[in-house]
Amino acid sequence: MPAWLTEISLRIKALFRRRRLDRELEEEMAFHLAMLEEANRALGADPEEARHAAGRRFGNVTRMKEVCREMWSFTLVEGLWRDLRYGARTLGKNPGFTVTAVLAIALGIGVNTGIFSVLNGVALKLLPVPRAQQIVSVDQMFHGKFSRNVHGESGLFSYSEYKNYRENNHVFSGLLAYAPFLEATLGGESPKQLMGAETSCNFFDVLGERPALGRVFVEADCSAPGASPVVVLSDNLWRSRFAAEPQMVGKSVSLNRAKFVVIGVAAPGFAGLDPWPSEFWAPLTMQKALEPDSDLLSENNTGWLALLGRMRGRVSLEEVRADLGVIAGRLDQQYPGRTTTLAIRRATFLGRQEEQTVVFGIGAVVLAAVGLVLLIACANVANLLLARASSRQKEIAIRLSIGGSRWRIIRQLLTESLLIAFLGGTLGSLVAFWSIEGVARFVLAHLPHDVPRLVWNVSPDLHVWGYSLALTALTGIVFGLAPALHATRQDLSTAIKSDGGRFMGKAASGGMLRSILVGVQVAVCLVLLIAAGLLMRGLYLAQTVDPGFEMKGITQARFDLPSQGYNEEHARVFQRELMARVAALPGVDAVEQARVTPLSHDFLGTGLTLTGETQERQFEFNVVSPGFFTILEMPMVRGREFTREETQSDAGVLVVTESTARELWPAQDAIGKTLRDGSKKEFQVVGVVKDSQASRLGQTGGLFFYMPAGPKEQDRLQLLVHSKGGDIATAKGIRESARALDPDLIVDVTRLEDNLEFWRTPSRIVAALSGVLGALALLLSSIGVYGVVSYGVSQRTREIGIRMTLGADGGDVMWLLLRQAMRPVLIGAAFGVAGCAAVSQILSKVLYGIGSHDPIAFVGVPVFLLGIALLASYIPARRATKVDPVVALRYE
Amino acid sequence: MEKQGELVQGTLDMLVLKALARGAKHGYGVAEWIHESSNDVLHVEEGALYPALHRLELRGLLTAEWGASQNNRRAKFYSLTAAGRKKLAEEAEYWRRMSGAIAHVMQSV
Repeated sequence: MPAWLTEISLRIKALFRRRRLDRELEEEMAFHLAMLEEANRALGADPEEARHAAGRRFGNVTRMKEVCREMWSFTLVEGLWRDLRYGARTLGKNPGFTVTAVLAIALGIGVNTGIFSVLNGVALKLLPVPRAQQIVSVDQMFHGKFSRNVHGESGLFSYSEYKNYRENNHVFSGLLAYAPFLEATLGGESPKQLMGAETSCNFFDVLGERPALGRVFVEADCSAPGASPVVVLSDNLWRSRFAAEPQMVGKSVSLNRAKFVVIGVAAPGFAGLDPWPSEFWAPLTMQKALEPDSDLLSENNTGWLALLGRMRGRVSLEEVRADLGVIAGRLDQQYPGRTTTLAIRRATFLGRQEEQTVVFGIGAVVLAAVGLVLLIACANVANLLLARASSRQKEIAIRLSIGGSRWRIIRQLLTESLLIAFLGGTLGSLVAFWSIEGVARFVLAHLPHDVPRLVWNVSPDLHVWGYSLALTALTGIVFGLAPALHATRQDLSTAIKSDGGRFMGKAASGGMLRSILVGVQVAVCLVLLIAAGLLMRGLYLAQTVDPGFEMKGITQARFDLPSQGYNEEHARVFQRELMARVAALPGVDAVEQARVTPLSHDFLGTGLTLTGETQERQFEFNVVSPGFFTILEMPMVRGREFTREETQSDAGVLVVTESTARELWPAQDAIGKTLRDGSKKEFQVVGVVKDSQASRLGQTGGLFFYMPAGPKEQDRLQLLVHSKGGDIATAKGIRESARALDPDLIVDVTRLEDNLEFWRTPSRIVAALSGVLGALALLLSSIGVYGVVSYGVSQRTREIGIRMTLGADGGDVMWLLLRQAMRPVLIGAAFGVAGCAAVSQILSKVLYGIGSHDPIAFVGVPVFLLGIALLASYIPARRATKVDPVVALRYE
Repeated sequence: MEKQGELVQGTLDMLVLKALARGAKHGYGVAEWIHESSNDVLHVEEGALYPALHRLELRGLLTAEWGASQNNRRAKFYSLTAAGRKKLAEEAEYWRRMSGAIAHVMQSV
């Protein structure tokens, strides 16, 4: 056994036999003394003298025992235990202080833990499948000059690319692919729109998911395109739609009007690999049956598949990167000028590059905000500790002067602050864990109706526990260190002799540090409050903004004809019939068509070349019927609207927006100018329409054109209906008209104004969050200011008494106290406003409708905060002016 | 000039080990043995002896056992472990070389 091990085992034994060790030491010394005494007697000394001589020679027995005992013990551990007990006793003796401090920390840590567990649930947890640590997601980014079609996100893979990676890699026991953004209509009495996925046939096998009923896909299901119309249903769909029918396997269901045979039901709890739960899974090879308007399997340069692989045993991420990188390099050779980089990471929800960027961007902002709240809480507690340290000045000074080491006392004080931190951290985290699922459910339930239902598993795991533990420890040190250092750096003689420091106007020790802490609190609080103010103002603006076109009285009817098997001819008939029926509804005075309804967060883009130029420019566009501009009250600035004739032929005419005309043809007339598309077809500008925020709320810029809705476009058009009657009656009429024509078609009928929800929701969530955080910050800061002023008053009672005896009146004293209390507040506020100017620059880029120099937020909020601070100082200061000079002089 | 008989720093451990080389002794016995073997020159302070004994025990160089002394009192007897014996040999060798070297230096003119 190595020496150090022997030593530790001996010490551990000693730890449990402390009493016996003491007794043995005692006995050993006694024996030695007795032997000495005996020796002295043998030399002829009388017994009394012999004992004294022995004692003299032996020296300080207690000291020696102390040294030996120290040697046997884990001084650090036992010292810590002593510190803890002492700290707990001290905290117990000051329940007011302890409760305030613990609550402040609990608030700070609780908010942080809650937010982190949401972030963890959204993007850090591994997928809920067996042995999830082996599953990695494969994501690609392209660089250089290349063209590529995108179906969903830009990092997705084409079918041929998938096959290439699957067949040529050496690192996966299986590589699966699935199309993450599939929607399909489930036919039946009342058709229902479902989220689902087209998957490779090894999908369930790679994930290690067993079906609850029937079977999952086998390779034969993916043998040829269109060969195997089979489907696996989710447990949720099976229960909600098919009443958990035990004989479900073998029955057929209709998805986008194609017949699929149910071969199995997935295990409960498995809902796919995205936060929006999948309700069904069909083989990739059935893509054309589910989406009749496209044939993605044969398009080698169209990205539509997400890739996940299960690593073979003992393969590292590095090896996966290297192996797949070789395949990526080979694929790049087919597209000169293109370079692909792969991103390989452990698979989580929202694990693809584009999603990660968004999630971590938002996550960083929110974590920073809650971090600031915690900082305020820390400053608060630090202030309380400072105040308390000065009332413990004497105790500390005595300990220092009888030889206690400074480090020893700092350790003691830090133990106390860590104790507070852990009490607060535990309380805050428990409340957060207990409430966060409810909060998440509440937020999810209030998302706009056309955002897919999301599932967040925000329950805490090791990440979250680790995070809150680390945060708690850090917090304890952050708020404890400065006061501890400060308390132990004092002039011993003055501290012990008297309370001299309290007498003069210079204020008690730590005044400077306390002022700085108050200033920091005010500054941080102001940043949060102004940010909250800006967001709320932004929300208000968003709700009252004029998007530049009329939404009132307009109902939109949206449907997807191509996915339901309509060809151009069928679509033309359907549109004509439907428009005729809707136009005949009572109160309806206009029915128009558009490929994209305004603010519907669908965007169309294409490239056009100006005549006389060679470089293609990217445009956003919409395809509309002639009355589109009239119904939305979008005035023409120059030229004309489209004519009926132009929509019946395939006329090459365009209407551009005002800012487009200005950008492309500055100081020229846009009318008559021509552009060409990729197929060299020429278009002539016939009108210029006033700018409006028809595509993105809050934005008018960007190149944008409208083209007439010709006969070839009929399968993709939506309806815009203007009615003078009630919205509800019109909506009902539209639904009934559509059902009469095609009972299986899902038609989404809403008010056009409802589209605003999508744009306002982020602002609303952020405004609510920042409002809550701002309120917390305000509460904590005002407690901080109040605490500091009232402490100052209590410390200076005698001084105030003397001033008043010498003739100062209440007003003078009040003025003196307020002036001193407000100085750090004002300095802090100045820093806060400056800091906020920076923050608002960032916010204005991220969120809609935030002006970075909104005067109401920048003036109103600081004034409000100063008012609160003034009130928080006024209350204790008033108490001071009521002091009876005689009582004050006798004080202490 | 320092007190006569004070031990050179670090040599106490070696002397304690040496004292126990011939068999187990209690603390008093160790002090007496050193005193006598040095012809009454070296004098071990009790305040240093016991911390040294406990330190050596903790390091696994000594083991301790309670037994009866000559006059039938209960006493703690220390004896060398194998590691202690090895340590003693090393220390003795080192001391022999050092003292030889110092003597050589002091005798040179």
